[in-house]
Amino acid sequence: MRKLIVLGWRRLSSNWAAIVPGLAIVAGLLPIDASALPLFARQTGQNCLSCHAGGQFPELTAYGRKFKLTGYTMGERATIPLAVMGVASASKVASTAGSTDVGADFPHDGQFEFTTASLLCCGKITDNIGSFIQWTWDRFDHQNDAGKWVSKSHIDQVDLRYADRSIAPTHDLIFGASLNNNPGVADVWNTHNSAFTPVPTYVPVGNPAGNAGGPFVDVPAAPTDQSLGQHSAGLTGYLFWNDFLYAEVGGYRSTEKPFTVLGDTRVSGFDSFQRLKGINPYWRLALNHDWGANSAMIGIHGMSAETYLDSADTGSPTAKFRDIGIDGQYQYILDPHVLTAMFSYTHEKQSYNDALWNLSNANFTGTFANSSNTLDYLRAKVTYIYQAKYGVSLAHTSIRGSADAVLYGNPTAVPDSRLWAPEIFWTPVQNVRVGLQYFMWDKYLGAKSNYDGNGRNAKDNNTLFVYVWAAY
Amino acid sequence: MRWILLAAIAALGLIGCANLERSRDLANPNVRPEVTAAQVCSNCHGLDGNSVSPIFPRLAGQQESYIVAQLENFRSHQRSDPAGYEYMWGISRSLTDAQIKGLAEYFGRQTAGKNAAVAGGSLDAGRKIFEQGVPEKETAPCMACHGANAEGLGAFPRLAGQHQDYLVKQLHVFQETEGRPGTPMKQITHLLTNEDMVNVAAYLQAFPGQ
Repeated sequence: MRKLIVLGWRRLSSNWAAIVPGLAIVAGLLPIDASALPLFARQTGQNCLSCHAGGQFPELTAYGRKFKLTGYTMGERATIPLAVMGVASASKVASTAGSTDVGADFPHDGQFEFTTASLLCCGKITDNIGSFIQWTWDRFDHQNDAGKWVSKSHIDQVDLRYADRSIAPTHDLIFGASLNNNPGVADVWNTHNSAFTPVPTYVPVGNPAGNAGGPFVDVPAAPTDQSLGQHSAGLTGYLFWNDFLYAEVGGYRSTEKPFTVLGDTRVSGFDSFQRLKGINPYWRLALNHDWGANSAMIGIHGMSAETYLDSADTGSPTAKFRDIGIDGQYQYILDPHVLTAMFSYTHEKQSYNDALWNLSNANFTGTFANSSNTLDYLRAKVTYIYQAKYGVSLAHTSIRGSADAVLYGNPTAVPDSRLWAPEIFWTPVQNVRVGLQYFMWDKYLGAKSNYDGNGRNAKDNNTLFVYVWAAY
Repeated sequence: MRWILLAAIAALGLIGCANLERSRDLANPNVRPEVTAAQVCSNCHGLDGNSVSPIFPRLAGQQESYIVAQLENFRSHQRSDPAGYEYMWGISRSLTDAQIKGLAEYFGRQTAGKNAAVAGGSLDAGRKIFEQGVPEKETAPCMACHGANAEGLGAFPRLAGQHQDYLVKQLHVFQETEGRPGTPMKQITHLLTNEDMVNVAAYLQAFPGQ
């Protein structure tokens, strides 16, 4: 059940040594002048804070939502539609208690290193078509058999859109379609999708747990609709009517031919329950209201998915996941103040093929103890930014699930965890951000103390995370 | 199959190439101003120029020559107040003179609607500044240039119904910066207090008869 254990684990191979010179060449080709900013800013000629609330990522302003909904087509087509971004970071875990090999269990702990870089190909293609395509290189992608860290590069987020808009005094209808590789990436409120959230907060930077790569600190579980990034290819249609009603519906399938280009590895390299069976429906409905300097949204979302136990074997037993959730956002934007508050709650019902749990089944796999399980996943975050430079945020994640001694190997047999993550950050110029975040685990795998039976406590997983993010 | 997919995307691209009547291209001189107003400007200023957010000024019924001058000043970077360069330098950078004129005509002929209730400031004190000025601070009455109904005249913008927050911020720009050169407003505002500005802006947002 690794899919439920690890978020955003990447596998595709490519040598980072080939990527860095490539990024350098791209950077050299870009014009160095006042408009030498991230790609969408070059296209529109506008400051990042026009579209991003307080200049932060990924939260969008009402204007930014329109930019995305209309297919990234507003402005002037860039001569070279490429941009780069990178993150240097360090994470320091509170305690390595319980580890017999600290170097292996908490690799790079406390070391400040350049961790990830992305090449972005984005923006207006025609009057109706635009893209957001991100290719990412992870320096510490995984460890090889000798225990050495190996870097990889892979396709990251993809959102290729066709959009049109019919607007008149009587109506305003934006409609379009998105070909993407992550359920929810097409959403413009970014409240519930995992597209830019490798950690269960709304932080646009590397995952301290992922950077550490160890088994101790990681997200214990997440709903399927937030775990299919880069493993799924989806086509969704959407509309936004009179700035009030947003509706999106579509289907996702595995990144098999002809959609292999959207996947970060071959399907045979997927983890358990990452390969989708057939077309899996995804839907989203939201109501929006703007008044004065305020904007509010309340929405619901859902997905039904079926995946294989063995991603390399379409004859292997499957599990079904039914997600339904509610999410919302409130925004206040009036210089010099920007406030964004958002939440997302998802309830997932998992039901399994008989062979996965039934001892008497001839093909019993021993994957689950129960025939079905539930998972409840809540995320919330409040961010305040002053003068588009100085920011604070507080994020919360709460996970609850039914007990399954096989699925969750810990003594409590539940994934229940609670995380608080306060953060301060500074944006000295609009394409550089420096931040300090502290991940505080109030509960981990069902217990505050001795969650693993070996004396390790939830707070031992607390992690200090510092980062420098830059884009060009 | 991959080539079929790419071909389908390319075909979609060709279909979408020319859509002048719904284009959001700001560098195409063939896009009509009315189309740009609807597809781009409306995102912030509203289709009828009555913007909702106070970040963005209301343009409905604005003086055409004032809009033309501002767009030209954004395009040439002569107007450099933060809200101006953050949003409008990019929007205006490739607009043609004809498109600027057309946009000014479009918003000039829209009907100004009533703005939201004012949250702070003294309407009476604001009305006094508007009608009588503040002689001891060398501030002329607003209505002397902007008209008795704050409807503006030529290069002097319409102020009636404008967002209070926008007006206060612009008065500070006039007073404290060189971001909007070429107007008499620096001299007029140089002794005004923030309270004066809030009061007169409150009166203008709630302008009688709006």
